[in-house]
Amino acid sequence: MDNNLLSMILGGVANVVVILLLAPFFQGVLRKVTARIQSRQGPPIPQPYYDTFKLLGKEDIESGVSPRMQRFATYLSLAAILAVGCLVPMGFHSPMNGAGDAVLLIYLLTLSGICVLLAGLAAGSTYSLVGISREMMTMLTLEPLFAITIVIGALHTQSFRLDTVLSGAVYQTAGVPVSGLIMLCVMLLSFQAFVARLPFDISEAETEIMEGPLIEYSGPKLAIFKYAQMAKLVVFSALFIGLFVPWGSELPFPFGWLLFWVKVFVIVILVTVVAATHARYRIDQAIRFFAALLGVGFVALILASNGL
Amino acid sequence: MDARERLNQLKEKFGPAIVRADLPDERRLFVHVDPGVVKAVCRYVFRDLDARYVISVGTDDRQYSGSFQVYHDFAFDADKILCSIITHASSDNPKVECISDVVAGASWAEREIRDMFGVESVGHPYPKRLVLTDGWPDGLYPLRKDMDWNFVPKEYDEEREFKFDETPAGCTVVPFGPFHPTLDEPAHFRLYVEGEVVRGCEYRGFMVHRGIEKLSETVLSYNDIPMMAERICGICGCVHSVAYVQAVEAGAALKIPPRAEYMRSIMLEIERLHSHLLWVGLACHLVGFDTLFMQSWRIREPIMWMAEKITGNRKTYALCQVGGVRWDITPELRGELRTLLDKLESEWIPVVSAVLKDKNIQKRTRDVGVADKKMCKEMGLVGPVARAAGVDIDCRRDHPYAAYERVDFDVITHDTSDVWGRVVVRAKEVFESIKIVRQCLDKMEPGPLQLEITDELPAGRLGLSSVEAPRGESHHFVITGENNKPRRWRVRAPTYQNLQGVPGMIKDQMIADMQISLGSIDPCFSCTDRLETVDIRSGETRVWTPEELKKVARSKQY
Amino acid sequence: MSVMSKLKETIICLGAGRVTLPYPFKVHPVPPSFRGRPIWDASKCIGCAGCANNCPAREILVFDPCQEIRVLKYLGRRCTYCGRCADVCPEKAITMSQEFENGTNAVTDISQSIDLFMSTCQRCGRCFKGNVLMDSLKMKGYRYDDLKNDRWVYRSQSYLESEPVVDDIKIELEG
Repeated sequence: MDNNLLSMILGGVANVVVILLLAPFFQGVLRKVTARIQSRQGPPIPQPYYDTFKLLGKEDIESGVSPRMQRFATYLSLAAILAVGCLVPMGFHSPMNGAGDAVLLIYLLTLSGICVLLAGLAAGSTYSLVGISREMMTMLTLEPLFAITIVIGALHTQSFRLDTVLSGAVYQTAGVPVSGLIMLCVMLLSFQAFVARLPFDISEAETEIMEGPLIEYSGPKLAIFKYAQMAKLVVFSALFIGLFVPWGSELPFPFGWLLFWVKVFVIVILVTVVAATHARYRIDQAIRFFAALLGVGFVALILASNGL
Repeated sequence: MDARERLNQLKEKFGPAIVRADLPDERRLFVHVDPGVVKAVCRYVFRDLDARYVISVGTDDRQYSGSFQVYHDFAFDADKILCSIITHASSDNPKVECISDVVAGASWAEREIRDMFGVESVGHPYPKRLVLTDGWPDGLYPLRKDMDWNFVPKEYDEEREFKFDETPAGCTVVPFGPFHPTLDEPAHFRLYVEGEVVRGCEYRGFMVHRGIEKLSETVLSYNDIPMMAERICGICGCVHSVAYVQAVEAGAALKIPPRAEYMRSIMLEIERLHSHLLWVGLACHLVGFDTLFMQSWRIREPIMWMAEKITGNRKTYALCQVGGVRWDITPELRGELRTLLDKLESEWIPVVSAVLKDKNIQKRTRDVGVADKKMCKEMGLVGPVARAAGVDIDCRRDHPYAAYERVDFDVITHDTSDVWGRVVVRAKEVFESIKIVRQCLDKMEPGPLQLEITDELPAGRLGLSSVEAPRGESHHFVITGENNKPRRWRVRAPTYQNLQGVPGMIKDQMIADMQISLGSIDPCFSCTDRLETVDIRSGETRVWTPEELKKVARSKQY
Repeated sequence: MSVMSKLKETIICLGAGRVTLPYPFKVHPVPPSFRGRPIWDASKCIGCAGCANNCPAREILVFDPCQEIRVLKYLGRRCTYCGRCADVCPEKAITMSQEFENGTNAVTDISQSIDLFMSTCQRCGRCFKGNVLMDSLKMKGYRYDDLKNDRWVYRSQSYLESEPVVDDIKIELEG
């Protein structure tokens, strides 16, 4: 039992460290590829590291309606996403296998979404309130999609254990995994929204509402928020891989581990290309789109409960 | 119909109220009317004769005729006539009948006449201060001849605040500006918002007023002013300098050599090319599509290099003088220009076809910022905004100037009246401009570039000139004067009219569409703000703290 | 389909390659007709003040400390590089160079000053002939621009004042 506990803790810490170290690297890749598509040079790949360090060294100015809530929301955002990172397998097994299950995963994902709402409310400026109202509408229609995927996986394998659900559980049916394939398409179409990139970065639309919920955050708090966003990209990619493209993770170390990071890299490149070639959608258009996806998701859920 | 026939129509209806009429040629008509009938005459011209409203100008004519004068300019586009209805106001207690209730687009112009000259428009529906800053004392009118150009009022009141209108019930206020990432210049749109839908707005501008018109009457001379005119705007400089010298040439009845006319046309079309390419990129940036923004600017860059080779500067061409132009296209440059046009066309065609089929952009721009034909007529909207609504106006064809009468081109219109229509119109006008430049290069004959002017220019003559800027009609009004400088110069940029149409365009639309609606008129606030206050301090309520602004500036990480 | 147009757009973008230059290590070539900072050739200048009269920004000052000497000073602060000075100079003493990197924190890096010995010229303005009548000298005679404060003064006189009084606000056009 002690060994188990120790290995769980070490596994969790290892995951968190890897996420913290590599998240800015993927962000740098994203910016460099965007720049190449835009025919310009772009910042060097370590730039997000420099940006984060610079922001951390700035004076922490407390503005906004409720500074205490602002601090809380800031720390919560990074903590929530790192907690999700502890649960997600990153090239190995899920570290906290016995400590949490898929339901906890769903709750933690929702929590990381709520942090943005708290942040905007605590800031209290007109633009941040408009931003969080957009974020709320987006969350209502988006979060269920991940939950549906996990439930479908659980339905097929009759278990909520993390390592079962996050190893392609959606495909584990007797015949053709129709519900799994449907959910694969749905998640592909909505992935940009989960990682808050174009065409669905509506709540932080820079040219429209001046960064929305993050408007009153500067210096170290902003660094933490940006870090959380970068970490989101990595963690959600890992989740996507665990749910839909888990093949190859059984390979022995280091091949399984390297293959995992190659897959994350490919997902990041795809996210970048789609983000660079699309215009931002308006909130009502985006909501209609997600609602349609949600409907399709429910159909998949019904199919899954009937064994497909 | 020519100008004389139009004059006869007016005489039939108003008889002896027409005091005097000048017809310098068959395309210009200046009618002096009694102050008592000016509203009736304007109503007749605007509604019954279906003219387009251009601008109203005030002048301080007290040392010559003993009174203030007010000019209302209209355009008969189909007949190629520019006409001016002129009336006067007495020098003590000057009042004129307001025409804004008949001609909605005259609202700003009459408020400006009141701010600058003290000529009251009796019955104005919205008589708020437009141009002068809040602390400027009452009773001091900058454009009157008795005020010095560098006068500093001692009674300037820094504490006096701007009073916003009442917010309509049920709406919250979302301020857009004066500092906002979308705008390059400060402008304040106070949006009244219900949820995400805009119900109305109040516009407050003229924050970068520079005093150009006063300077032109006092310290500058005829040939200095084109250098200042081309700095009115950061994109369409050549347009303003050409329009100004054309107005002076019209007033002084000068005919410039044909090669100079071709040069002006070529440089104007080159300017239109770079402006439209810039705008397509900017519109994509406003909807979040940065990639197409970078690409259209990449395609645009060789045009700037070409302009630099011909004139010596990428944007401020310093092209015009009264009576001619200063730069020429040598045979080598001619070949380079042709190559550039071919390359531009071949690069722009795939971009245009990609954009026209792109559903993503269309979703953000269809049925957004709608300005239909009726609004275009009422508010006097011009340029691609009007052409996207199906209104077929273009100064190059309707009021020909420079070499446009000698070249063939089409006027692009669209029928959707929304931002998408404006995108299509501008994207296709690029091809028309390329066509025009090629024809000019073919038809140019060698010859002098500057007219020999050996006499002093006659004073007191009125010259009107309408030039098609990339944003619409840019109309200049010049009264020639003594001492080598004009008596009055008024610049009416297209954005001056189009901005008045923005509140109508954004009503009942979502906030997210505000920026692209505003951006679709291609606003050039610097063309609109033409007076400077000596000591500026914006005293309006600012929602943004300096920390917020700094943070936003820092956190831009794209 | 939207996907096809997005693909087409992506291909256009990638086909263009990288177009930004690492300025200042690589500079885009400047064309010979570029209008940079104007440079005066003192050996050719005859001190007619045609450039000063036709500068729209009033950045060229002229001052006559005594009958024989005229000081011409180009300030360079608000110069718009329009090239009117070079156009109207009767001796072609002004060239618009190709220098565009004119940013400095010491205005003396840009300003140019010429001290000219005017011999017996009575400042009638005959040496200057503008291209058109409108460019001709309206301010002939002795000039009193304020060199100490770098200020243009709207005044010229046909005689030399012993103690020139410079009024701060009003424009005076005499002579």
